[in-house]
Amino acid sequence: LCVVHHLGGLILRFLAFFLSLFIVLGASAPVKAEGELVKIRLLPERSAVVAGDEIWVGIEKSIAPHWHTYWKNAGDSGTPLRVTWDLPDGFEFGEVQWPAPKKIPYEPLLNYGYEGSVVLLQRLTVPDDLPAGALNFTADIEVLVCKEECIPEYGTYEFALNVPNAMAEDNSAYLDMAAIKVPRVVDWDVGFAQEDEQFVLRFPQGELLDLNTNRIEFYPLDWGVVLNPAASVSSYEDGWLVLRQPAGDLTLDGLDAVRGTLVYEIEGVREAVSFTAAPESVGAGESVLEVQGDAVVPSSLGFVGAVFFALVGGLILNLMPCVFPVLSLKALSLVKISEEHPEVARVHGIAYTLGVVLSFVAIAAALMTLKVAGAEIGWGFQLQNPFIVGLLAYLFLILGLNLAGVFEIRNPFGNVGGVLARNKGPAGSFFTGILATLVAAPCTAPFMAGAIGFALVQPVYVGLIVFAALGLGLALPYLVLSFVPALQRVMPRPGAWMDVFKQLLAFPMFGAAVWLVWILGVQVGASAMGGLLVGAVLLSFAIWVLQHVPKAGVLRRLVMVLAVLSLIAAVWFIPKNVRMADSPALFGAYEDGKFGEVFSQERLEDVLVGDAPVFVEMTAAWCITCKVNHAVAINVNSTKALFAQRGVVYLIGDWTNEDPVITRYLEKYGRNGVPLYVYYGDRDAQTGERPEPIVMPQILTPAVVRDYVDVK
Amino acid sequence: MILKKNIMMMGALLLAFTSAPALAAVEIGQMAPEIETVDVNGEAFKLSDHKGKTIVLEWTNHQCPFVVKHYGTGNMQATQKEALALGDVEWISIVSSADGKQGNVTPEEANAILSEAGAAPSAKILDASGAIGNAYGALTTPHMFVINAEGTLVYAGAIDDNSSPNPKTVEGATNYVLAALADVKAGNAVAIPQTQPYGCSVKY
Repeated sequence: LCVVHHLGGLILRFLAFFLSLFIVLGASAPVKAEGELVKIRLLPERSAVVAGDEIWVGIEKSIAPHWHTYWKNAGDSGTPLRVTWDLPDGFEFGEVQWPAPKKIPYEPLLNYGYEGSVVLLQRLTVPDDLPAGALNFTADIEVLVCKEECIPEYGTYEFALNVPNAMAEDNSAYLDMAAIKVPRVVDWDVGFAQEDEQFVLRFPQGELLDLNTNRIEFYPLDWGVVLNPAASVSSYEDGWLVLRQPAGDLTLDGLDAVRGTLVYEIEGVREAVSFTAAPESVGAGESVLEVQGDAVVPSSLGFVGAVFFALVGGLILNLMPCVFPVLSLKALSLVKISEEHPEVARVHGIAYTLGVVLSFVAIAAALMTLKVAGAEIGWGFQLQNPFIVGLLAYLFLILGLNLAGVFEIRNPFGNVGGVLARNKGPAGSFFTGILATLVAAPCTAPFMAGAIGFALVQPVYVGLIVFAALGLGLALPYLVLSFVPALQRVMPRPGAWMDVFKQLLAFPMFGAAVWLVWILGVQVGASAMGGLLVGAVLLSFAIWVLQHVPKAGVLRRLVMVLAVLSLIAAVWFIPKNVRMADSPALFGAYEDGKFGEVFSQERLEDVLVGDAPVFVEMTAAWCITCKVNHAVAINVNSTKALFAQRGVVYLIGDWTNEDPVITRYLEKYGRNGVPLYVYYGDRDAQTGERPEPIVMPQILTPAVVRDYVDVK
Repeated sequence: MILKKNIMMMGALLLAFTSAPALAAVEIGQMAPEIETVDVNGEAFKLSDHKGKTIVLEWTNHQCPFVVKHYGTGNMQATQKEALALGDVEWISIVSSADGKQGNVTPEEANAILSEAGAAPSAKILDASGAIGNAYGALTTPHMFVINAEGTLVYAGAIDDNSSPNPKTVEGATNYVLAALADVKAGNAVAIPQTQPYGCSVKY
């Protein structure tokens, strides 16, 4: 009976579900619709209201395939939907809420609009003196729908509320979905400026940290601030997310605000915010140098807040799937120690904390150094290097095999993963700290992004403190455990169950390894990834062989050699260089050596004695901006021709590896990073003087190069 | 993944620099780009020969609903008449629809459309190559430009301030072109020199 009853409930629920579908589908039919290409429905949040209510009303457009309608700013052509309401007395509608649009190109124009199905929202306020009985709402809607040609469609639509005896209608779930697509209004301190024909927006990094800069789209609400069809380019600079797009017809002078929508992706999910930007005080002319100096960056997150979030973020890191297994076993082993020697446990706790904090500070210092050097990096930059990714994949494989019980290794620190289960002195704990940081590094936890974003735009010591706090957060549970015996008593007793638990925890490790292998595949392609997997087999083989080394004799040596060779081969199989299969031109740019000559201080001094103009490019293999500039603005026929015509001596300095000469040169121009482009104008025929060298912008186009080089 | 992001950024940069918009942007206060062509009646037209006159350029496409809005209500013809009546004003209608695209017409069809609508521009020009449209950055039909007697561009943008395709919205709208012409006639700077053009895209 119970089963039957349960089944009945299920069926009822299904029926209710289907019924609700029909209710939504059956909402408001148009009274008079001329439109064929855009089907419109009016969807009130619910069909019954009381005095003082506020509800959403959706205007749902179903647009015929291949046709589109327009956003609030239609772009180069077109016009947005217009609605004129006929409302019962006292009712009021708020402004139309427009979902984030997309770019719809029609060469050479570009429009902002919608395809498929879209729901515009309006907030309806119910008056306090609500009359009894049915309420009728009528909307005259005109909508322009275009494919190549355009057709205006006009229609009158209606819906009713509080209709006596009508079936209750609830579209709230559907409208909630629609509301998600409306950009969230933010009060970020966004600045706008015009620099070299480019409209520039600067967003505080805050929530925008570590986005895929290719998936960032800007939709101006105001006409004329940008050339709509021109692509925008986003990059991280000095703690800002900077978006550049060729400027439009409107002069920005005297404009006190630019409104717009920014669309970006966070973990594959499209997010949209609507913002208002204020003019930057920096004058257009000076901005080139000014902005690239040591910009003082305000941040919404204060120092104390950042440290706090870092601490919390670090704490949460303990629960990340790759970190948790390492630490949970470590914690259990600690319990075992403290049973015998509480003071030894404290030493272990401190050693472990030191290991974690120092590793974090080391990674942060490396990160900041590289960041200062102009690298486009954020947290997890280690993963930019396929070799490190490969090594980490091996590390997780080894940890997994160890946990699974395939092997145990004795080493100076005790047992590698093993430190997980057993302990040999504080050094072992220190090592576990480093290990924990290594395995934690690829992970990000909630609260961390904001703190790291803050840290990276601060003076170095402040940044390091924030990172140290992150490390402390990670180490904190263990540290507390080692100091508070009462907590240790709460922990489960070590026992045989630990072995099973340990083996179980091998699987998250293998999962992490798979993830890293995938990253490597993305970086360097399938064949290199295959190489890494071969390496993984060799590594496992070497580990297995080492478990079966004969006690003595020639065979022992042979087996050892076999193991060592396998290990070497495994490491050899990790791809070392980033190979950009998609853009060989960019990365082969410097190798041909036909254009430009190698920079040296002597060569520069030599050519400066002469009369010819000199162009110095400071670059590095890991500097993506440098590569792009070189490929699109320098190593192009127009610039080559310009240089030839003007007799420009072109010197290239490569800062890929540490080079004190170049570092000093950069410092001379107030930089500690690449790219740096300096132009020395030719010697004046009359005065015999050279003009002051000019530092060029960090983003180059052939036109920018021409502007600097072509001046007499 | 960060790397992938960088590759994509490079792609975006490349795209940004290679696919520079084909449309030139004309600036208010600058010399209007030269137009040298033949009109629908086979007569040569050179913009610089018309210095001393105020020139109105009107981008049109008789099949575009926005153009239909302004011609169907007689608004464009009325604006034209009023403009020409100011004296020393010439009105040039330009069709930049490419071959095979909406609005592309033969010279005979162009004249037929004019007489049917009762419009009488000083000249009508067919610009199927889009060269003139590109030089002026004409985006929409209609898209209006006013050039003063010195050949300087003094107005670019919409015909009026109501961007609806609905013919009912002609009434009550502020006509930007007539306002600009009145400013020019009075010897004043044009008060509203630039507005967002609205309409169908020019069918390049």
